[in-house]
Amino acid sequence: MNPAALLQHPLPTRTTKCTTGCPILDSFLHGGIPCNSITEIVAESGCGKTQISLQLLLSAQLPTSLGGLSASSLYLHSEFPFPFRRLHQLALSNPTLQNPLDNILIHPLHSADHLLDLLSRLDPLLVHPPPQTRLPIKLIVIDSIAALFRSEFDNNPSDLKRRSGLFFKISSKLKAQAMRFGLAAVVTNQVTDSVDSSDGLRIGNSWFLYSSGRRVCAALGLSWANCVNTRLFLSRDEENVKDDDGDIVNTRTRTRRFISVVFAPHLPHSSCEFFIAKEGVLGFDSCNDFHLENREL
Amino acid sequence: MEVSSLPISASHRAKLISAGYISISSLSSISPAHLARDLGISENEATGILKVASQRGGLGRTIPSHHSIVDGAQTAWDMLHEEESCRRITTSCADLDDILGGGISCKEVTEIGGVPGIGKTQLGIQLAINVQIPLEYGGLAGKAVYIDTEGSFMVERVQQVAEACIKDMQEYDSFLRKDLPARQVDLQANDFLANIYYFRICSYTEQIAVINYLEKFISEHKDIKVVIVDSITFHFRQDFDDMALRTRLLGGMALKLMKLAKKFTLAVILLNQVTTKYSGGSFQLTLALGDSWSHACTNRIILYWNGNGRYAHIDKSPSIRSASAPYAVTGRGIRNLASNCKRVKLM
Repeated sequence: MNPAALLQHPLPTRTTKCTTGCPILDSFLHGGIPCNSITEIVAESGCGKTQISLQLLLSAQLPTSLGGLSASSLYLHSEFPFPFRRLHQLALSNPTLQNPLDNILIHPLHSADHLLDLLSRLDPLLVHPPPQTRLPIKLIVIDSIAALFRSEFDNNPSDLKRRSGLFFKISSKLKAQAMRFGLAAVVTNQVTDSVDSSDGLRIGNSWFLYSSGRRVCAALGLSWANCVNTRLFLSRDEENVKDDDGDIVNTRTRTRRFISVVFAPHLPHSSCEFFIAKEGVLGFDSCNDFHLENREL
Repeated sequence: MEVSSLPISASHRAKLISAGYISISSLSSISPAHLARDLGISENEATGILKVASQRGGLGRTIPSHHSIVDGAQTAWDMLHEEESCRRITTSCADLDDILGGGISCKEVTEIGGVPGIGKTQLGIQLAINVQIPLEYGGLAGKAVYIDTEGSFMVERVQQVAEACIKDMQEYDSFLRKDLPARQVDLQANDFLANIYYFRICSYTEQIAVINYLEKFISEHKDIKVVIVDSITFHFRQDFDDMALRTRLLGGMALKLMKLAKKFTLAVILLNQVTTKYSGGSFQLTLALGDSWSHACTNRIILYWNGNGRYAHIDKSPSIRSASAPYAVTGRGIRNLASNCKRVKLM
């Protein structure tokens, strides 16, 4: 090994990013999901983790002129079943792409060791993509990492040590591949209820994350938080809205969804409202004026 | 003491400075042949320079043809004098600079640790930029080595911080020369980027190899004034079965870095993660890599949350007292907590 070869000089002038397919979300994320590092999306079930992931599988195929990576993608899922119908529906609303489903490789995951084994055998596929996909693989989605770890490990010291060892192994392997092949790596994670007293451990921009009126924190704890570069949090809230429709006053609940930055090397502390439509995940333009300069990250 | 005070010819002085020999101490352990090669002058001339330097350095020794064990020895007085003349790298946060005695000190290894999202990488990027502040603005006019083991170094962010730094220099400039028209700072953010030597590391073997290679690399780039490792920890937390081996590897790395810091008068910044440690019946946060590692660094700074504010705490230092200071991570980089306060410290 020649250590001089590890020097990158001069630096590239910008980080390649993969568009989310929505200009508002893209501007919130300063261009999209960054390549060469791991982006984690944390949310409770039903917030839109998988929706965003599926959308990325399609937007990665867009040409670079449209913010995509002009690449195919690999989707590793540990939550079953895989939502084929939804992916197909999204594909139909993306008429610019030709046979987009051909460029998405899908593989199930059964355990953390299985994931590690799969990643270590992935290099040949990243060098020579399979013949049916015309494009090289530039996006890997793991949905979700938490499901792999939540059943298998006990809460005793030796299991916890083995678990955090696996975190770092998986993350290191994934980051190395992301760097070597210029991949965007997206990992989804679940939440757990936060039962800590007020002075619990704070990771990122706020002491507590709230979703559906509950106080939650990202699953897998502190060690895993050290393994990702960017952490995004999706939350939702039910809101009662009164429709004043002439004589009849209807009360209905409306779901408001937010995406916020928990920590990221390149994004300030900010959040953006989004909604899930038939065409995919889209941001609201009424996005709070959080992008002021000098605002604390 | 600076090379510029030596009674030697102007061309030799310029050659010395451009080759990165700023202080007289940087000439103390170098052979005439080596110096001759670095400066592109004859060996006789090099011997002459070294003779003048050694007399002026107050060491009163002649140039030996071989290296004896006391060759590098200095008196405590000399060392004190040298430390006083040693510039520090500002953190761009005046409160933090205050408790650090003016900034991050060169010649020392400083460890900085904290939870994810507290701003370790931000501080690392800030220092990689601030080391390049020109001499006339109180900086070191140095270059930086950034060893990235985690992949969190984002070029856009570096550009942002560099642009803010240039802006600050312009403000500082007009403040000094009130009646004169403000001079344009002829620096671009891309110049700052070009002075960062970025290594991306993907395994602990690569990390060790690069740190071993640094001595050669820095001797070819003598204007490097800071080495940042972000983070020292990441690749050493993957299931090391042989913990004794891990301790040895880390210890060896720390020694190498300490040697580099001394030899080339540069600051070494090691970023570290935190972990929970079970002691006395409860879990407590502590920096990773264990107890033996905690002895490896000269200075240790812990970044933590207090309420909604970020704080830095000097946990260990041989020369400055333990203290805490608030800091903020802003769009412009690391700054004082009060965001409206325009006090920018450029020493």
